[in-house]
Amino acid sequence: MRNILTIALKELRSYFVSPMAYVAIGFFVFIYGYFFVVSLNFMVRVSMQAGMMGGPQAINVNEYMVRPLLGNMAVVMLFLLPALTGRSYAEEKRSGTIELLLSSPLTGPQIILGKYLGALALFTLMLGVTFVHVGVLFLYGEPELGPILSGYLGLWLMGGAFISVGLLISSMTKNQTVAVVGAFGTALMLWIVSWIGDPSSGSTTTEVLAYLSILDHFDDFSKGVIDTKHLAYYLSFITFGLFLTARSVDSERWRG
Amino acid sequence: MIEVQHVTKRYGPVTAVDDVSFRVDSGQILGFLGPNGAGKTTTMRILTGCASATEGQAFVAGYDVFEEPVEAKRRTGYLPETPPLYPDMTVREYLAFAARINGIRSVAQRERVAAAMARTNVEDVADRHCGKLSKGYRQRVGLAQAILHNPDVLILDEPTAGLDPKQIIETRELIKELAGDHTIILSTHILPEVAQTCERVVIINKGRVVAVDTPENLTGRLRGSETIRVQLDPRGADETAVVQAATVPNVSNVTATPTQDGLVTLEVQCEKGADVRSEVARAVITSGWGLLELTSMRMSLEDIFLELTTSEEPREEDAEAPEATDA
Ligand SMILES: Nc1ncnc2c1ncn2[C@@H]1O[C@H](COP(=O)(O)OP(=O)(O)OP(=O)(O)O)[C@@H](O)[C@H]1O
Ligand SMILES: [Mg+2]
Repeated sequence: MRNILTIALKELRSYFVSPMAYVAIGFFVFIYGYFFVVSLNFMVRVSMQAGMMGGPQAINVNEYMVRPLLGNMAVVMLFLLPALTGRSYAEEKRSGTIELLLSSPLTGPQIILGKYLGALALFTLMLGVTFVHVGVLFLYGEPELGPILSGYLGLWLMGGAFISVGLLISSMTKNQTVAVVGAFGTALMLWIVSWIGDPSSGSTTTEVLAYLSILDHFDDFSKGVIDTKHLAYYLSFITFGLFLTARSVDSERWRG
Repeated sequence: MIEVQHVTKRYGPVTAVDDVSFRVDSGQILGFLGPNGAGKTTTMRILTGCASATEGQAFVAGYDVFEEPVEAKRRTGYLPETPPLYPDMTVREYLAFAARINGIRSVAQRERVAAAMARTNVEDVADRHCGKLSKGYRQRVGLAQAILHNPDVLILDEPTAGLDPKQIIETRELIKELAGDHTIILSTHILPEVAQTCERVVIINKGRVVAVDTPENLTGRLRGSETIRVQLDPRGADETAVVQAATVPNVSNVTATPTQDGLVTLEVQCEKGADVRSEVARAVITSGWGLLELTSMRMSLEDIFLELTTSEEPREEDAEAPEATDA
């Protein structure tokens, strides 16, 4: 456990000594703020229209504001997280520092988990900062806390899944750029894989593809529903990603 | 302490290491010698767990490096070919990190880092970023990292590469000092380094061990015959000196070459092990020629190295190698 923590702290530190962490957090918070304002405007317009038409005065903040906002942030993560994890293994392999880790008495899983937790900690921080915006909502409106929290949990799990994909791809190359683009491509594939099938047909293939999709599992979370089915999906996705990373690092010892 | 048994490593069609076996006893320094691409780095990476072997077994400090890697690695310090430094850490931070991943925590850590820095002479750059160090300092910080946790076994891939002459001497001294309680393998291209620091030499070429021996024995073993070079002043006398020299017992061949300034150089070859210098000197003087210089030409490690590693077809020495491996 201490070993994992040592690696995680080293990873986290490496994000913060380069501009990486600041750029990523700044970018994330800025985009979040932008979408926040856009959806706030949208909500205000909708509620004014609703008011003029004599509908119910209080419109659902969660439905009109938080859900689309979190949905948009999921897309931002799809771009941002691969950029974050790209260097993780690739840079160590390029510069040779991986040999320091490989020849130390750390086990493969300790190194992988350390790297994973380091990236996850940075992502958690990014997500945490955006709570400031959410706080604003509570100042001026009365959103339900439950769906917001479950939405954040969904985002967090989805981010965790992206990070495990990113780590896997990064472990397969020495080139950071290849790692970033490769991870983005893979994550995107997993995102849109459900579009192949025709949902109305109800065939098994469609169902399987829909099940694989990272995005589809997020929907319920943003609606405020925490379904163990989706939890299990993300957790097994992450575990499988890390398992493959371990295999990839190990096979590297045979090839390189 | 270190035992390598029939280790083979293939990269697809390329055989980087081919059935290599050798052992290093406790406290010894073994020199790993070979031309570029011989397989030195590959063997070292296998011993340190950075690469796996296609075939064979290896033991470090009594632990199988493939079966019990963590135990083996705990007792190994490794300086790779490129020192594995994190450019954005200062030397002190880097060594502290290296200490932590080797299980050295807070209390002992400061002390060990300071000791390693002192031994490798990097205290004056302690607070500089590793990425901004010169090649020589990188090498030394890499060495500090390797000795930090006081391992039983040190594996050093070209430890003096990129150092200035003063540092080379200091590093060699340090390595010799360490040899007492550490077992060391070092690879190098610099032949005098092997002669000066190592007790045993493994010469490897194209992935195969071509010789294992002490530097002295190697020079001896490969010397089929010894040569003496004699510089003479003929002083107008006839060629009797050449004839006289050839009559000395054990001398097998004498060749005379006139030099530009009217002198003559004799190359006297004699049987291995026989010391004919005084007889040759006497023979030459009785002939009336002036004896200006007499040198025994030993085959240098350099010659041996070239002889062993640049052969086109398999030579005698190759056939001898397996026997030498067991020695
Ligand atoms: N990752 C790899 N993939 C394919 N071939 C490799 C790999 N690493 C090494 N080789 C090959 O294995 C052989 C031995 O290489 P190695 O680096 O062990 O040589 P070396 O003795 O350390 O040479 P040098 O003195 O130049 O450092 C070379 O032919 C090299 O091309
Ligand atoms: Mg090498």
